[in-house]
Amino acid sequence: MRRAHRAVHRALWPVLALAVALGLTMALALRPPPDPPAPPATQESKP
Amino acid sequence: MSVGFRAVQWNRAKLVYDAILVACVVLYIGGYLLVAHWLEPPKDLPAAIDGRIRAFGSCAFIMLTIILCIGPLARLDRRFLPLLYNRRHFGVLTFLVALAHASFMVEWFAVQNALSNLYDELTKLADYAKFIGFPFKTLGLAALIVLFLLAATSHDFWLAFLTPPVWKGLHMAAYVAYGLVIMHVALGVMQSDRNPLIPAMLVGGFACVTVLHLVTGWRERAGDRGTAADGEGWLKVGPPLSIPDKRARIVTAPDGERIAVFRDGDEIGALSNLCAHQNGPIGEGRIIDGCVICPWHGYFYRLADGCAPPPYTEKLVTYRVRLSNGVVEVNPRPLPPGTPAAIRCG
Repeated sequence: MRRAHRAVHRALWPVLALAVALGLTMALALRPPPDPPAPPATQESKP
Repeated sequence: MSVGFRAVQWNRAKLVYDAILVACVVLYIGGYLLVAHWLEPPKDLPAAIDGRIRAFGSCAFIMLTIILCIGPLARLDRRFLPLLYNRRHFGVLTFLVALAHASFMVEWFAVQNALSNLYDELTKLADYAKFIGFPFKTLGLAALIVLFLLAATSHDFWLAFLTPPVWKGLHMAAYVAYGLVIMHVALGVMQSDRNPLIPAMLVGGFACVTVLHLVTGWRERAGDRGTAADGEGWLKVGPPLSIPDKRARIVTAPDGERIAVFRDGDEIGALSNLCAHQNGPIGEGRIIDGCVICPWHGYFYRLADGCAPPPYTEKLVTYRVRLSNGVVEVNPRPLPPGTPAAIRCG
């Protein structure tokens, strides 16, 4: 790689990596909670 | 190397590489579908298509992760160089797998007569202002377009037409595609499916690529420090025997460009560290039969004058070298490509 190419690579890469890391962390943190388990079926009272 | 246009420059090594690659992809996708079917047989056609979407999507993600790891791995350990040799075919296959993933997604909507839902999803502008709820398929589509551009321009014709620096710059967009793919999965299936393997795959892949690039970048920085020059501007390389036989020592010119100083027995010559093909690191190659072989794709040049032997026409910039008080020195002013400049020190 030429010096200019190395310089662009070193400038661009960390910015992209930080943006993706931030996005991924936010996507993990803001995930909606899992659906609650379905309540058990109500039993009919028997005499 | 080539002297004319050929659609695909096959050779035995590339055929073996591609056969292994295709076999791995078939094994992964076949294995994924079998295991998924065994764990939870699909209830209907959309569920079966959903399995294919996941199989091809995860395969494309893993392939892109590997592609981005190959470069730094090859710099850290020469044993990974064979993976670099045909990385472009790896990239084209990754695009095809990603295209199949996108096609199954369209089919999933089509079999349910819900293509209008897909259109609505992509064109609901209000959702583009959200983070969770962002139309993640747009990110995947953008990544697919980038991968298509890279696959379409992967041929040596485009490399020669655009010139290696522009071509390399364009192909750095693979990092952009990777970022888009990560966010496509993170804002898509990871939000609706609690399977811990999904975040593990994303975080693991991203961490692998990041750590490898950081380590390689750290090591490369040492090579960017300029080499000490004397009053006339010549750079000291060291005694002839400090250069390994058939190998090079790399020195850095004051302008930051690297020069590869090779020794072949008692012959010493200095060439640009940039291969004429893809700007690969010539100085990490070796000399066979008087020719320096680029470690990336096997392009070769005579040490004496930096010219590829006939019928090939590539030429490298050369540098003047001299022996001063038993120390090899190189003049960092580049000579026109193909200028004879090697010396005998015996």
